[in-house]
Amino acid sequence: MYNRHLIIYFTALIFIIILAGGCARKIVKPDGMISPGLGMGGPGSIAEGELQGVQSSLKTVYFDFDNYSLSPEAQTSIDYNAEVLKRYPNLIVVVEGHCDERGTAEYNLALGERRAGSVAERLAALGIPSSRMNTVSFGSELPVDPNHNEEAWAKNRRSYLRVSK
Amino acid sequence: MSAYPHYSHVVEWKWFIKAGGFLLWAILAICLICDSSSAKLLIDVDNPNLGKMPIMVGHFTSNQPGSLSGSDLASIIRTDLTLCGLFDVIEAPQPLPLTKNGDPDLNSLSSSGAQALVVGSFHVNGSELSVECRLYDISLQRLDLGKRFTGSLSDHRYIMHMFDDRILEKLTNLPGSFTTRIAFVDDAKTREIFSMDYDGYNVRQLTATGTINLFPDWAPDGKGLIFTSYINRNPDLWYVSVDGQRVIPVSNRKGLNAAGRFSPDGASIALALSVKAIPKIFIISTDGNIIKQLTNGLGNDISPAWSPDGTYLAYVSDQAGSPQIYTVPATGGAPRRITLSTSYNTDPRWSPRGDLIAFTAKVDGRFQVCVIKPDGSEFKILTSKGSNQNPSWSPDGRMITFCSNRDGTKRIFVMDAKGTVQAPVSPIPGRSPAWSPRLK
Repeated sequence: MYNRHLIIYFTALIFIIILAGGCARKIVKPDGMISPGLGMGGPGSIAEGELQGVQSSLKTVYFDFDNYSLSPEAQTSIDYNAEVLKRYPNLIVVVEGHCDERGTAEYNLALGERRAGSVAERLAALGIPSSRMNTVSFGSELPVDPNHNEEAWAKNRRSYLRVSK
Repeated sequence: MSAYPHYSHVVEWKWFIKAGGFLLWAILAICLICDSSSAKLLIDVDNPNLGKMPIMVGHFTSNQPGSLSGSDLASIIRTDLTLCGLFDVIEAPQPLPLTKNGDPDLNSLSSSGAQALVVGSFHVNGSELSVECRLYDISLQRLDLGKRFTGSLSDHRYIMHMFDDRILEKLTNLPGSFTTRIAFVDDAKTREIFSMDYDGYNVRQLTATGTINLFPDWAPDGKGLIFTSYINRNPDLWYVSVDGQRVIPVSNRKGLNAAGRFSPDGASIALALSVKAIPKIFIISTDGNIIKQLTNGLGNDISPAWSPDGTYLAYVSDQAGSPQIYTVPATGGAPRRITLSTSYNTDPRWSPRGDLIAFTAKVDGRFQVCVIKPDGSEFKILTSKGSNQNPSWSPDGRMITFCSNRDGTKRIFVMDAKGTVQAPVSPIPGRSPAWSPRLK
């Protein structure tokens, strides 16, 4: 019954191997500041160090509990991110969606997908082509703060943009 | 397969390999007495006021001292009979009073209040174990069930579970599910899929992907499981064989390919796929082709659960603002909301008898395992200590496994379907338990 999957399986494996090399690069946490060299290289010629600069300049978008709507603060962050991404039209963007630990795991996966979708939708409305973007939900599986309090939960309800060439 | 160097080629379920031996047992299993005359010992499971049957379990005896302990064998039986919720297990006097012919003196045990007695004897010959198990009706003073099992000494727990399955069959006409397994996800950073005997023994690792793996669900034939995994950095649906040797993708569309559940006939899979980043319930074939989109609209839909006859699905949607349980015909149609009393309801799982849906509800700020009838009536909360979620039914419908943090870490628990007995079973932290079908 699963024989035809073998072909997909091996294709997927080759894909993983190719991808594994491409995704091993270090991810720097965003600090909200655009690096001085931003935009200097021009489209299509971004260096590895500059990619990290772009990555660290992107703002994390935060959400309210059990909610995927965009607050005014979230919209401001996305607007800022859109401006950054427009300067690098060749960069691919993975829009990650995350939740805090207070929901159940499966529903959180759905909620994280929707959060990523909300961010991607606004980015698209601001002129970032959908073909450049992918949404990936991690539900509550990858908290940035492992503590069990409101401060940690607020940090974990987020959407993070991960850029690659 | 060399492209997958990280897979441990674990022999997950030695019973497949020993299928020949298993058949031999089936032939060797001798029904010593099978008396079906009137006024027999019987548990009417349909009686809503059913009390627990007091049952006495004695140490198993052997005429040779060895590595196996007769009290250990008895404790396997005590755990099984306790966890299924049908019995009050009483320790038998030690040594057991015997009649002149060497049989248990049932007359002298009748004052204990116990209605039944389980005892037996065993014989070890090298690595081979032979066990004779007996169930007595104390009030009628007769033997109700006698079985002899022969197998490998290392499989002594399985042998005792087999006898307990037969005890329940004798008393309720439905075999127990003590010979089944529970799959779960460990609570480490890379979450791998494991499985264990339903009572927590014989833990085996199925995956070693080094990535996040979530939500295992058994194929109805018991030969493999589907699960959601980030092997390709996206939540895709994968299949793993029970021996851990075959890992193949089932659905890897853009967005979610999550919370897959095999249909009861094993021919299709319900899961959540993303439509413009909105999770919707779909039915796909086992080779990944879309058969039908079941839900529409703007709600986030997740966690499909088949009714045992395959005609309906329960699922979670937040289309009304908070996650709630809905049901929908498997052929499509209007969804019907069945949870109304609490604000956060997720993880539905239909009981094997079809009469109940177990789910997770938020009660006073914490998650509790609850049951409700498929028409939305008779909502009952089964747990109260700590946070409890992810219920999954045993194939006989008498027990529910779930994840609880009541002891500080997330562990897999088992309780009877009414919640009267609740015990941790997984020796390691874990979550997302999925009870296997009957394994042959």
